[in-house]
Amino acid sequence: MTCQDIKEKFPDYLIGDLSQEEKAQMQNHIAACPSCRKELESLSAIWTKLGVLPEVQPETTLRTRFYTMLEDYKNDLGEEKPKTHLLEQIKTWFRPVWTGHPAFQLSFSLLFLFVGLIAGYFITGSRGQPAEISDLRQEVQSMRQTLAVSLLDQPSASERLRGVNLSVNTEKPDSGLIEALLNTLNTDSNINVRLAAVDALYLFYDFPLVKEGIAQTLSTQSSPLVQVALIDLIVNVRERRAIESLKNLIQTKTLHPDVKLYAELGLQKIGM
Amino acid sequence: MVSAMTDIQMMEDVRDGKVERLAVLFERHHVPLFNFFLRLTGSSNISEDLVQDVFYRILNYRHTYKGQSKFTTWMYQIARNTHIDYLRKKKEELPLDKQWNEALCTELSPDEKLEQGQDAILMREALAKLPLKKREVLILSRYQNLKYKEIAELLGCQIGTVKAHVHRAIKDLGKIYFELSGGTVS
Ligand SMILES: [Zn+2]
Repeated sequence: MTCQDIKEKFPDYLIGDLSQEEKAQMQNHIAACPSCRKELESLSAIWTKLGVLPEVQPETTLRTRFYTMLEDYKNDLGEEKPKTHLLEQIKTWFRPVWTGHPAFQLSFSLLFLFVGLIAGYFITGSRGQPAEISDLRQEVQSMRQTLAVSLLDQPSASERLRGVNLSVNTEKPDSGLIEALLNTLNTDSNINVRLAAVDALYLFYDFPLVKEGIAQTLSTQSSPLVQVALIDLIVNVRERRAIESLKNLIQTKTLHPDVKLYAELGLQKIGM
Repeated sequence: MVSAMTDIQMMEDVRDGKVERLAVLFERHHVPLFNFFLRLTGSSNISEDLVQDVFYRILNYRHTYKGQSKFTTWMYQIARNTHIDYLRKKKEELPLDKQWNEALCTELSPDEKLEQGQDAILMREALAKLPLKKREVLILSRYQNLKYKEIAELLGCQIGTVKAHVHRAIKDLGKIYFELSGGTVS
């Protein structure tokens, strides 16, 4: 091996990409050739010295910017679920509260992404073989539910709102989530949270638990706004048991006259 | 990192419309990518912008991903183009070496300098004085864990050329470092 041959292998030596045989050849040559030895020593010294530059952590704004961009891109793709459109429709009827907070909505989306991400890592980390996409999807869904349920239990109203909104993006809610939502609808002290819960339950109306819960809650709700929201819901789904509860509501003496009128109009609509 | 969902699978998903998967690739690679730019430009503000730009391009060019080469090779190819475009934009304003020096000078507060130590400051300065091409191959091979074959692929040249560049770059860097440190190599 000539000095030239050996020197050509220096870069491989530096990144540790030499076979045992090549390494041995190089060591033999270097032991006998001071010029090559000297060069390799100084190359190695600088190569090692480059290690003094630490790996720097970027500002957290970098992450925020990325997720904002990704979210915008997704929205541009028009990948929103039809569900959301329905929800948006309901919101525009009697809920200016929501539409005024695009940043809030965005933060939910970011949350979903993080949850998805965590789920992704969870799967890839724990199995050691390619995870099926449906598994990943399921995992994300179940994490969303867990998160939503735990958020519904938070002392802060905005956190509970988050929980409700998070549950809206659940494809197949389990009974725990539905119970938590119904419980929120029945007992939450904040009217916005209760209204949001109505929206969320609207999307899950196919579930027997929801049908039953809606029929029951109508008699216990005292806020005219929530009552109106529930009336709309019942009118839209035209469910028999709920219609009965609507009729009962109209009979309530303490009912706000406007709500009563609204309920009667609703019943008319159903009859049409 | 040993993981079941490889980068390639993730990126193929992104290409095929599951763009939210890009979040995983971002989490895996944005820190090394940020450091790549930081070593190249010396400025963390610029580096953050460039990282953002790279992921933006990945989204917009996702259809062109073929899945043949490693994801990182493809990503650094985009990163390199992003950096070149950035330099091109900047070109009219300042000569390149001035830009780098300026970036380096404005970058570190006195506290940071203390923290990083004299060696690191010297090495940053020395790197900044290395011509762009050499600096690039050196950073890619030393810090970004790319094999020479992958660097050759992303630069579009022969593997021998890459090795020669790396060899030359280390020699030159050694000289610059030696001069900056006042003629003593510790
Ligand atoms: Zn020799």
